Amino acid sequence: MSETIPPFTGFGLGLRKEHHAQFLGAEQKVDFVEIISENFMACGGRPLRTLDAMRERHPVIMHGVSMSLGSPAGLNRDYLTELKLLADRTRPLWVSDHLCWTGIPGHNSHDLLPLPYTNEALATCIANLKLAQDVLERPLLVENPSSYMTFPESTMSEWQFLKALAEESGCYLLLDVNNVFVSSVNHHFDPLEFLNVIPRDRVRQIHLAGHSQGPEGLLIDTHDAPVCAEVWALYAKAIDRFGPCATMIERDDAIPPLDDLLAELDQAREAASVLA
Amino acid sequence: MTLLAAQRAFVAEIAADDDLPSSSLGMAIYRNAYRGRLADALAVSFERTRRWVGEEMFELAAAHYILTHPPQSWTLDAYGADFPEALAELFADDPEVAELAWLEWHMQQAFAAPDRATLTGEALAAAEPDWEQLRLAPAAGLTWREVNHDLAALWHGLTDRSALAATEPAVLLIWRKDLSPHFRLLSPDEFAALEPLLDGASFGEAASQVGEAGLARFGQLFAKWLSEGLFSAIDSQSQ
Repeated sequence: MSETIPPFTGFGLGLRKEHHAQFLGAEQKVDFVEIISENFMACGGRPLRTLDAMRERHPVIMHGVSMSLGSPAGLNRDYLTELKLLADRTRPLWVSDHLCWTGIPGHNSHDLLPLPYTNEALATCIANLKLAQDVLERPLLVENPSSYMTFPESTMSEWQFLKALAEESGCYLLLDVNNVFVSSVNHHFDPLEFLNVIPRDRVRQIHLAGHSQGPEGLLIDTHDAPVCAEVWALYAKAIDRFGPCATMIERDDAIPPLDDLLAELDQAREAASVLA
Repeated sequence: MTLLAAQRAFVAEIAADDDLPSSSLGMAIYRNAYRGRLADALAVSFERTRRWVGEEMFELAAAHYILTHPPQSWTLDAYGADFPEALAELFADDPEVAELAWLEWHMQQAFAAPDRATLTGEALAAAEPDWEQLRLAPAAGLTWREVNHDLAALWHGLTDRSALAATEPAVLLIWRKDLSPHFRLLSPDEFAALEPLLDGASFGEAASQVGEAGLARFGQLFAKWLSEGLFSAIDSQSQ
């Protein structure tokens, strides 16, 4: 297995079904598209045809939501098998998932649930990540999620946890700048402290997204709005620290016209070019 | 407490009945997200059923299902698999509800079912099969069940409940031809002729079941099934 992922710089969008026809009908100004892996696993028909056609136009990144790296019960082998089949077929730039757990045996929440940052959780994630990387025969990217609670048993910060995870497992990181911002507000930490501990050479991709206001001052990672000014400012700091890396606008709800997202992506290009 | 024990307690709390208070604001957000995500998945998968029963009744049915059917698959796309069966119990006096939900669910399954190339009449003729031994594989996503209502009218947006009458029992057949899912209501007679082929009987065995008098009609039906794309391949052992 290749143990490194070469840097890929460019600007892309998450592929959403509302925009399939436009992506397939004309050249769009993106350097890559990111698919949700689960939408194309264990299936055929039009979804796979769309993916095949997309692969001919753009490099593809596979982004998953169901690996459940933080599950002490271990990874679902059927899931890994299907993910491997899709990765072999798609030959993506890379495969990513989240620092989270999604459920327990027999009960999947289909959410990105928070982990306590303990040695037990770290050992669990490292073991699961190593297994996934062995099965997939490639290093993975792990994304920091937003969270709405912390655990008194945590013995390290999220950024220390991610740093240790990358060092111990050989994984790379998908830095979601919006999630850093959301969690920093929710848990009252300095987002720059987060960025400054993340190893410079492990970040291969950045997600940018919008969020919404929740109860009692909490921010909710809803991906249903444009990127806000504070997240753009943090993105500039991230580019400054990590250098140019693949940057993507992630929208999952209240999907706007494609042109709106392309304009927002141009804003990312501009922000990155200022620092280049 | 081990990590696994803590996670079991976490899941138990987010999946618990609304009557129980959340232990923290964060837990309330995760609980709300859990319900919302599953309810959205059902609403998307069963859009026509939702319109037929009305939003309020659908939400009640979905809330009951979410409490009684924890998601087990790695994919959220599988979550509604048992919803038609649950609706059959919840709407016992309106059996068309479960029939429509079953149709919706399996049309989506057929849409994304693993690929199987459609077998055309030309390809079958070119293969020069031994007809007596010929066995055929069903099309992608092919499935069926008995129904007692005009599902075509429901599928195409019937809203007048008084216009929906119970019909003679029929077989609702769903399959995908090329990239498009299809459905059709078959008379019990037609399905009786088709079913042996779907169950793996040879063409000769299926033809023998219709008898000498029914052979001409069986031939006509077979040509129709082929043109509809109900088969995907010739079983290699019969070539």
